[in-house]
Amino acid sequence: MIERRPWLNVLSHFVLCAGVLVTALPIWITFVASTHPADSLMSGRAPLWPGAHLFENYATVLDSGLRAAGSVPVGMMMWNSLIMALMIAVGKIVISIIAAFGIVYFRFPLRRTCFWLIFVTLMLPVEVRILPTFGVVASLEMLNSYWGLSVPLIASATATFLFRQFFLTVPEELAEAARIDGAGPLKFLFDILLPLSRTNIAALFVILFIFGWNQYLWPLLVTTDESFYTIVVGIQRMLAVDDAEPAWHLIMATTMLAMLPPVLVVICMQRLFIKGLIEQEK
Amino acid sequence: MAGLTFSGVRKTYPNGVRAVHGIDASVGDGELIVIVGPSGCGKSTLLRMVAGLEAISEGEIRIGERRVNELEPADRNIAMVFQNYALYPHMSVFDNMAYGLRNRRTPRNEIARRVAAAAKTLQLEDLLARRPGQLSGGQRQRVAMGRAIVREPDVFLFDEPLSNLDARLRVQMRLEIRRLQQSLGTTSLYVTHDQVEAMTLADRLIVMNGGVAEQIGRPLDVYRHPATAFVAGFIGSPAMNFLPATVAATGSGVIISGTGHTLTAAVTACEPQRPVLVGLRPEHLLPASEDSAALKVAVDLVEALGADTLAHGILPGDGAGPALTVRLEGSRRVDVGDTVPLTVSPDHVHLFDPGNGNRLV
Repeated sequence: MIERRPWLNVLSHFVLCAGVLVTALPIWITFVASTHPADSLMSGRAPLWPGAHLFENYATVLDSGLRAAGSVPVGMMMWNSLIMALMIAVGKIVISIIAAFGIVYFRFPLRRTCFWLIFVTLMLPVEVRILPTFGVVASLEMLNSYWGLSVPLIASATATFLFRQFFLTVPEELAEAARIDGAGPLKFLFDILLPLSRTNIAALFVILFIFGWNQYLWPLLVTTDESFYTIVVGIQRMLAVDDAEPAWHLIMATTMLAMLPPVLVVICMQRLFIKGLIEQEK
Repeated sequence: MAGLTFSGVRKTYPNGVRAVHGIDASVGDGELIVIVGPSGCGKSTLLRMVAGLEAISEGEIRIGERRVNELEPADRNIAMVFQNYALYPHMSVFDNMAYGLRNRRTPRNEIARRVAAAAKTLQLEDLLARRPGQLSGGQRQRVAMGRAIVREPDVFLFDEPLSNLDARLRVQMRLEIRRLQQSLGTTSLYVTHDQVEAMTLADRLIVMNGGVAEQIGRPLDVYRHPATAFVAGFIGSPAMNFLPATVAATGSGVIISGTGHTLTAAVTACEPQRPVLVGLRPEHLLPASEDSAALKVAVDLVEALGADTLAHGILPGDGAGPALTVRLEGSRRVDVGDTVPLTVSPDHVHLFDPGNGNRLV
């Protein structure tokens, strides 16, 4: 849309700048705080410009963690988070592709019911069903394990729905042509449907990875063993210290590190991600 | 190479809709049969039953001597060209053509040989590395043909393959398909709703309407001796004129209802006073002198096509009178409001039963 209204330009730029400021300022303050020594943050006035302790703080965090504050090394927590996020993202994508494939391409009794059952689970996020889920996971002895962290979060109505919608836009004749070409259902899935869903999978992976990375409540419940703490839980643990001031400079450094992987995923997959959101290659 | 036999083929969908009401036909080895009819007549369903994409509710389809009812599409040794081509968008032209062969575990060098041969025939050699998205409509059409050819099937199935092309390309591809089919000598079934395609391509036509084969025959036989009023109206362009009439008491012709016009026709098989439907093709109505004219049409619309001029009008009589279209030579000048005197040879007067539409001999 091309409009020639200068005041509108000014207004929209103002709104955009304000938005950027609101989003970016907290991140900036986090970064700044992670570069100062502990005492300069306790003075009551938050510094707005980076200090001189950048390498020192990050080295401390990565190396020893907050042993003093009763926490595990950040490296280990990031590793845990990474495993969990990857398991959730990959698991969700695999499960929902299979589910959507079944619902779209096969005729079986109660097909619609199955779809709606899956769809209805959208109304039951983890927070709602957390007690029974915890009970199941506990009796399966999956507490304090990567499976326990990821499996209950893997079922995904949203992703199933997205893939179903995408599969419905793939022309029926493609499936028929593949049938005539001698491709069975699985071959059709792997040779034709998956390559066509490439961009959708990438977009979904980004979203789901961040979703998994940011999980808080569930990891908090199922991990009691420190070696399975995820970074988001770890940050919270760092805050909850008895009889001492929280080590804000180190917490902020940890937070910066925690933000890194999702940002990297977004940057690396940006092209595919945007393609998957705006267009469908056919 | 093999022929194709339909015996009592019916299709009933699970919801009770009956799409095909019993087709009996046989297609000779190497013959190109065009199934033509309006949308919803069951022609595509019939084709898809041959392909194995629809189950056969009743009856039997044989390819050669083999009953194929229970076979998977891939095991029927057929190849199909779809209306929207259905090329795999993420594969190169080469891979599109090779995919079916790879699934059949054809040796690699054999695949390369067949694809190269097909590409040569279809002038796709320079495009083998491209993807379908980078091709024009005509090129995609050729790739779809190529995918069918490399399989070296017993039967080609074409499902309205030309309807996504523009008019010029359509004519060109029509010729190419015919040439290709003749040089390969592969039995083919071709579904279309375009009667020009049907007339030009077919060795024989199956004209379908409402799930029934109304007539099966060579194109010119169908044109000259349509078995029903439906076939007569569907084959031929512009469409045949239909005028309600009664057989004259003298037994020498028919009287067009409401106009008093009398046409000489072979009505020996009909009892006098019997109501009939008279069919006159626009191209068989010839201009005549005033006094020898059998019909006089009052022109109310003229379409000048260059080579021909189509004059639409009505036969004046009591009331509005029946409508009539006439095809005149392009050089002849006709204006709206003119009355054109016409004559028609008795051989070209078709008579149909007004009730069931069957041809009256």
